[in-house]
Amino acid sequence: MNRKVASVADNLFENGRELSRGELLFYKLFELFIMGYVIKMSWDWGVYTLRNQEVVLPLGLANYIDVSFMFGNSLPLILAGIITLLTVIAFFRIGTNWIYLVVLILFHFQHVTRFSQGEIPHSANLIGMTLFCFAIGIFFFRGADKRWRFIFGSMIFFIGLGYTSAAISKLIGTGITWADGRHLWLWMAEKGVDILSREGEFSPNWLQSLAYTHVTAATLILLIGWVTEWIGILMWWKKFRPYVITAILGMHFGITLTMNIRFDAFVMQLILVGYPWYLLLDRWRIGYSDSIYRRLKAIA
Amino acid sequence: MDSPNHFRYRATRIILVILFIYGVLVATHEGEFWPFSIYPMFSQAGNPWTRAMVTDVTDEQPDGIWEITKLEDARGVQVPVGKYGVDQIDFSNFVSKTDHWTPARKKALITMFGAENIEGRIWMVMKVTGRMTDSEEVEVVAIPFLKLRADTVLTNPFLPQEEYLRGGRHE
Repeated sequence: MNRKVASVADNLFENGRELSRGELLFYKLFELFIMGYVIKMSWDWGVYTLRNQEVVLPLGLANYIDVSFMFGNSLPLILAGIITLLTVIAFFRIGTNWIYLVVLILFHFQHVTRFSQGEIPHSANLIGMTLFCFAIGIFFFRGADKRWRFIFGSMIFFIGLGYTSAAISKLIGTGITWADGRHLWLWMAEKGVDILSREGEFSPNWLQSLAYTHVTAATLILLIGWVTEWIGILMWWKKFRPYVITAILGMHFGITLTMNIRFDAFVMQLILVGYPWYLLLDRWRIGYSDSIYRRLKAIA
Repeated sequence: MDSPNHFRYRATRIILVILFIYGVLVATHEGEFWPFSIYPMFSQAGNPWTRAMVTDVTDEQPDGIWEITKLEDARGVQVPVGKYGVDQIDFSNFVSKTDHWTPARKKALITMFGAENIEGRIWMVMKVTGRMTDSEEVEVVAIPFLKLRADTVLTNPFLPQEEYLRGGRHE
């Protein structure tokens, strides 16, 4: 294997390092976090789909299957129930190793049914991508250490790639002038209308007022955000990861302040994967008892 | 049992295969095959946009309700769509991306808010458009688009009917 590729792979998968007890506990708690969101989102989407009437914009599998058969009946809720049941079964590793793959397909279907009304959201992409990594990791690998190393490494790979890909999209879509502060004015006005429409009122906060008053400040805000996206793939290297993810968290906070877009699931997940929390669990010997360790091993 | 090197090789190979599938799916589906995406949001800067909002025009003079105004001068009292469980982005997209306002599409709009919530009131669905003017200022305009009662939806008689047949963009 090419030495540079091997170096990136070693940073992603921490190849050869033994899985500590704290890490095993963190791994399972992280899986609980992700699967909790999978279940929550599948019900949220299922309930919302009840009010859908027609497909406005087909996404994903909806390009090939007319998902309107899911409208006007309780099928979205039944699907949410099936996703919930299968997710719980897969979480406890009951049965075969491809249940998360089935959950992924059903979850995708629930997503494209719910989001067939014209909106192309990205708020659930990180949860969806991580479910994908769990599905692939558990299908292809045996043993807690291999599975977790693959799941975590591939997740970091795709998160980093996603941010840098977003930066490249901006360069292709607009060019080097993307960071012109006047563009931020137009987006802030757009998001302000969204808030006005949703809440019935809207008034700009201090950062939005600053950006409206000084175009240089608006340009600087966009520039910092863009540079942060560019360096996304640096999280592939373990030594840069906490710094890159801290910068990305700052960027999300900035987007929330300027454009009123919240990223709850994104932010929580980034906080969980950006820093080596397992070291704290190891230091405090949390989850170190043999009985807990044995049980975690059995469902790893 | 995998050796560390074999594991690294296998894991890398799997990721590269996924990356290939990822690339093929997003390349053939306009950048989106959830959860795969090229994350194109906000990639095209400076473009005009169209959103939607609702105002209650029950107490307005009927002759002025179809007038196109600046956003701050829009007729009626703002209806917060979130109060009715409606996702405002969905709603905006539904209004701005519908190309052909068939009777079913119009009825879907009433269903979205619930006829019982509109009962006895007159609501105006407005398209709201934003653009950068030649003098580099943001101009936001409210266009009365559809008048909603609990059982009927009327189009704006002062707009060209093509707006309701091919999805006029106001851009």
